[in-house]
Amino acid sequence: MARRGQSLAAALADAGHRVFRHTVKGSPRGVFCGMGICQDCLVSVNGAPNQRACATMVTAGADVRRQEPRPSLAPAATVAAAPPVARADLLEPDILIVGGGAGGLNAAAVAARAGARVLVLDERKVAGGQYFKQSAAGLSALDAQQAQGAALLAAARAAGAQLLEGTEVWGAFAGPELYAVTAAGEPLILRPRQLIVATGAFERPLMVPGWTLPGVMTTGAAQILWRSYRSLPGRRIAVCGSGPLNLQVALELARAGSDVRLVAESAASPVWHPVTALALLLADPSLVSAGIGMRLRLQLAGVPVRYRTELVSVAEGPARELRATFRRSGREETLELDALCMNDGFEPQNEILRLLGADLSYDPVFGHLRCMRTSNMLTSVAGVYAVGDCCGLGGAPAALAEGRIAGAAAAAACGLTVNEDIDAARRELTRARRFQARLWALHDPAPRALDKLSEDTIICRCEEVSLAVLRAGISDGADHIGDVKRATRAGMGCCQGRYCGPVAARLVSEASGRSLIDSSFFAPRVPIKPVSVGVLLATQEALDVQA
Amino acid sequence: MSRPELLVVGGGIVGLSAAIAAAQHGAAVTLIDAAINAGTTANAGSLHVQLQSRFLRLYPDQAHNVEASLHLYLEAVREWDRLEANHGPFEMVRHGGLMLAENATQLKFLEAKARREAARGLDVDILERAALGRIAPWLGPQVFGAELCRDEGKLNPLTANIRLRAVARRLGTTFVKDRIVTLTVGDNVQLRGELGLYKADQAIVAAAWGSGRLLGGLGLALPSRAEPLHMNITEPAAASIQHLVQHAERSITLKQLQSGQIVIGGGWPAQSRGDDVVPAVLADSVLGNIALAGKLVPGIRELRVIRTWAGMNTTVDGKTALGRIPGAERVIVAVPGDAGYTLGPLCGRLASELAAGLPGEVDTGPYSPARFAAR
Repeated sequence: MARRGQSLAAALADAGHRVFRHTVKGSPRGVFCGMGICQDCLVSVNGAPNQRACATMVTAGADVRRQEPRPSLAPAATVAAAPPVARADLLEPDILIVGGGAGGLNAAAVAARAGARVLVLDERKVAGGQYFKQSAAGLSALDAQQAQGAALLAAARAAGAQLLEGTEVWGAFAGPELYAVTAAGEPLILRPRQLIVATGAFERPLMVPGWTLPGVMTTGAAQILWRSYRSLPGRRIAVCGSGPLNLQVALELARAGSDVRLVAESAASPVWHPVTALALLLADPSLVSAGIGMRLRLQLAGVPVRYRTELVSVAEGPARELRATFRRSGREETLELDALCMNDGFEPQNEILRLLGADLSYDPVFGHLRCMRTSNMLTSVAGVYAVGDCCGLGGAPAALAEGRIAGAAAAAACGLTVNEDIDAARRELTRARRFQARLWALHDPAPRALDKLSEDTIICRCEEVSLAVLRAGISDGADHIGDVKRATRAGMGCCQGRYCGPVAARLVSEASGRSLIDSSFFAPRVPIKPVSVGVLLATQEALDVQA
Repeated sequence: MSRPELLVVGGGIVGLSAAIAAAQHGAAVTLIDAAINAGTTANAGSLHVQLQSRFLRLYPDQAHNVEASLHLYLEAVREWDRLEANHGPFEMVRHGGLMLAENATQLKFLEAKARREAARGLDVDILERAALGRIAPWLGPQVFGAELCRDEGKLNPLTANIRLRAVARRLGTTFVKDRIVTLTVGDNVQLRGELGLYKADQAIVAAAWGSGRLLGGLGLALPSRAEPLHMNITEPAAASIQHLVQHAERSITLKQLQSGQIVIGGGWPAQSRGDDVVPAVLADSVLGNIALAGKLVPGIRELRVIRTWAGMNTTVDGKTALGRIPGAERVIVAVPGDAGYTLGPLCGRLASELAAGLPGEVDTGPYSPARFAAR
């Protein structure tokens, strides 16, 4: 029985459904990213195809079906008789903030307190971002982390910032001029005086044979199911990859009642990094003791944490269970699971920044682009600020401080007087960055080497393009990522190359010997997220009326 | 006797087709491509035959040139049929193209156009709404009628490009990535690139918008221009739309590929950032192009657009430039007048036949570049 406020993905998980649809090639797909990135959880709702189950809320009596890989077009007469999409609104806030997470909410509160007209757009039904993952409406805060997020949201609202949740930005053009669509399907045209991009990051998966099977999902997707909707991805669970989120979510799922059989971390145990561990302790004793506490609590919960342990492959067993094989010191072990969670680092959601032409440079340590900014978080584009993980991984504490700095700077740029202790924020930022650097030194933040990966591993999960096909395309003369895309179709699917793009860029770089730069990655193109023809039509009609 | 050596400048659809045909005639072919804004790599796969209203509207002074070339378009789609048969599949179909009218005036314009086209051998018909509704029930209720051109079609250009490149390679074509800077002609042809110097008995210049710059030194004022254009593609839907769809008065092409995806284009502008950089997508073009598509074919409104892109179309004077350069006869130019992807294979093959001295079945005289020679 679905609960009010649940996502369809959560309700279906509760009901034991793992397979939501099949691809054109017949491969099963289910929840993967949980946050609107992968486009794999598409279902048909009340006859309308291509609805993301993770972003669509349960409604009474909804008719939810597995959709056809190629759904039928609506008959012209039906469309003509249907009510038109609501007319687009033109909004001109002083400051537009895209992303209502740690950075965006703090920026909103600071700027709104200074008197700026602030509008925050957030994709999720309840803002708060991926770090603070808020409960769905009607559920109380689960712990201190959720409570802190709720307090941030309340502070931004109390300061007078307007929040539009469930709103997705699909376009960013010079101006800046942005285009979005609200939860109700209403198109928005946005012409802010100042723009703060706070779009965060998404999780880098562990690509191994079988990683596209339903039941395999990002660690964050499992966390959303639990923290936002109090649903569990399955009973028998393992978590793998590298980074602190895996440990946290493993503990949360274990406490929630899942049987967490393994946390596989690819890095060496912290006891092999005594100096780094000590430096971490000095950088922020409270967070480290929380971390040590986490290890103890995992132990108490009976969750084994294994270091230098790699996921090798995933397959489906005879009873439709997942069979995940791990390798440690040359020995392989296979676990029977209902769900496998993976997080192998993060990729910044820098689409808006790249579309607007902000300068970015490649960070080989984290294996992704970093946005260049002034100490006020101003990018190389006039009037465009950027904070948090969309600029390259920095973590929530840094994002909080960056948000305050950017909010103050953007308000000042609007001619407002800001009474904010920015020096304190800068000190916090320095501390947070030092801590992050040391924290990640205990993990493997760089992307995995591709040479050990089995050639039949799917790299583009939308178009189902394997590593072998990508390599063949490159050796056949495709020496830029755009050529690779055209030669192999990698990156041409609904997730718009978010997962395969970084891998394709690295393959080209390795083959050509050219180092990675901004243009090594897929060219930034609208729509940032898939957007319906109907929404674009309504947007154009609003502009026609305005003219 | 050694094999005649041929250089082909430009690795798009014209250059690839020229290389394939020349290799089949026994030439040793080196194909040099700069890999900069090739229209072929951004093409959306329409096979055009009827007069495009976009062209008539934008370049009215060149309309007679296009009209005089109509038989070339017919030959060109037949050339595509042969390529599909020999080297396909390219997911190619020729179910015809519909040019839509939304009122009586537009349909009158199409009737007059259809008469002129029929006179030049095209298989065209005017359809009133009822007849149109039977073959295209997915059209919006406001569509008044249409011209059907049965010769038109569509294909997947990505597939065609890959397969034709493989054919050229199999036939022994040497592929070089370089940008040719100068071209000199004496006892042979010498091309100087940024990376190397290339010599051969003859050269075919199939460099689209870059051809004019290259041929300027030979006294030819070929007005080839890069025209940055915009395209869009949706997620897949069940196969519904058989035809290539255009409009009598407004810029649009709309078709459904075999993948089920709908490709929408038709000449909306992209923003040039110089010839060497990929053009930028403009908000006005995304919105205007898609809004028009959603009005003409309402059933696609629930589909999501997943990607837009921009690429360079090439315009000359409405008429193809194909033939030897006066005074520099070792050099043959091959630049389609418009709808370069449709005309590409035919232009490429005819250019290689000129190089081999073979009599072609198409009189290339009317397309001679002599019209651009300095007087």
